[in-house]
Amino acid sequence: MGALSFFKESIYAEECASRSGYLQSLDARIKVLIIFLMVLCVMLSKDIYAIFSLYLFCLLLSVSSKINILFFLKRTWVFIPLFSLFIALPAIFSIITPGEEIFGFGAAGFRLSITRQGLMSAGIFLIRVLTSVSFVILLTLTTRNTELLQALRIFKVPQLFVMTTGMCYRYIYLFVEIIENTYLAIKSRVGILLPHKKGRYIVAWNIGSLWQRSYYLNHAVYTAMLSRGYTGEPKALHEFKASVLDWLSLLAVLILITLVLYLGDTGI
Amino acid sequence: MKNTIFELQDIWYSYLSKFPALCGIDLRIEQGEKIALVGANGTGKTTLLQLLDGLIFPDKGIIKAFGTRLNEEFFNDHVSARSFRSRVGFVFQNPDVQLFCPTVKEDIVFGPLQLGLSRQEAGKRLNDICEQLNIGHLIERSPHQLSVGEKRKVAIATTLAISSEVMILDEPTAGLDPKTTRQIIDIILQANKKGSTIITATHDLHIIEEIADKIYCLGSNRKITRSGSSRELLKDRVFLEENNLVHVHSHAHRDAVHTHEHEHIDHHH
Repeated sequence: MGALSFFKESIYAEECASRSGYLQSLDARIKVLIIFLMVLCVMLSKDIYAIFSLYLFCLLLSVSSKINILFFLKRTWVFIPLFSLFIALPAIFSIITPGEEIFGFGAAGFRLSITRQGLMSAGIFLIRVLTSVSFVILLTLTTRNTELLQALRIFKVPQLFVMTTGMCYRYIYLFVEIIENTYLAIKSRVGILLPHKKGRYIVAWNIGSLWQRSYYLNHAVYTAMLSRGYTGEPKALHEFKASVLDWLSLLAVLILITLVLYLGDTGI
Repeated sequence: MKNTIFELQDIWYSYLSKFPALCGIDLRIEQGEKIALVGANGTGKTTLLQLLDGLIFPDKGIIKAFGTRLNEEFFNDHVSARSFRSRVGFVFQNPDVQLFCPTVKEDIVFGPLQLGLSRQEAGKRLNDICEQLNIGHLIERSPHQLSVGEKRKVAIATTLAISSEVMILDEPTAGLDPKTTRQIIDIILQANKKGSTIITATHDLHIIEEIADKIYCLGSNRKITRSGSSRELLKDRVFLEENNLVHVHSHAHRDAVHTHEHEHIDHHH
């Protein structure tokens, strides 16, 4: 059931974020900055080997953060990089990217060839997407969602936005629970098999009912906020403390980025 | 001589100007008192509590808190509003309404921070409350990861963190097991011992004698039909039955069927 897997996923992510690994020990703000810089470096780098070395670095970080490597690979290779592969596939052929032929074949009186340049550009695209996605997933796996939201403040995201997003995140669970219970209530009364038309009717009714509940909750929560002194200007408790390890990590990443970009540009 | 905390004179309130919820309420609550509002469903208990917390305002009549009239103008003034909010805390019936932050920690410090306390002071209050209610192990959790009993404890903690002079509680023990109910009662009594005025709406007659010295009963006419000491009112079984607070039912013990009164121990809405 979708709702159940949502809970399982979130519980596992929370569990990963509370392990005593390297990235988990960093200040969330510094961590967000480091990952942002790494993704930027991946975007700017033109050399496939440089990007591949960054990917290896990402895998190293996941191991040092006590994330199961097989789980991490499964999580990062599914969906986005796989779709990117299909998007990048036509680029390897000479009709899209002309160049030095590596392999050619004929099909229906039409000659197609794979070019070195085409293979390289498709490879760069794929590895770039994979590395960027891996870094972002590593960040979400090693940071609690609530800390991640608070860390957004370093990019000058307004506190009101951070607070509203945090509240949405909190109430998603409540609504998922309501949907799950409604589904079970329907199942207990009518069984699983329903005619499609009736099924659609129930889904539509559920959407309407959930909207009504959220509307009521919206008003009730606002009164609860007023009751505790809210006047429209949210204030939050920031407990971030950057340690020597955080600053050293940031410095190391800056050196790595400079090296990767410099070596990639000079073709060493 | 005790100070008057709330004074209500001929209060009328209706929803959408159509559905009457309260029809002429007169009430006086003194500092340090323990008050219980009882009555069947739909008699206006929650509405009355919301009026006391300045969340809604009456159609007719006067509400005074700490000697000052509560109305929209009063709350439009930030200084007055902040002063009132830091003195009166409200524990909502549904803890999912009260706990709106992503973590328990953020929920507990929300009130103190909004009311102008420094981050250090709010952090200190958080530690004190966690120690007092023994909820330190919950602070990093999200509200959806808590049991109903834990949610209620945390909801009370969010109110206690404001250091309220007055605690208003809407059905604080609804749906709780006996052990958690006991813990909640102890928390309420402890707050009262420290000087808080306690106003509780409840159906749970088992706890009333402990958490209230005085009972106000709201009737189906949406008025206070009777008030008096808890001991005196709880003895009047005819009155309780008339107000849907107890009912007579029959049930079997092995082969013998007997009939007796049944109290509304636990109600959900």
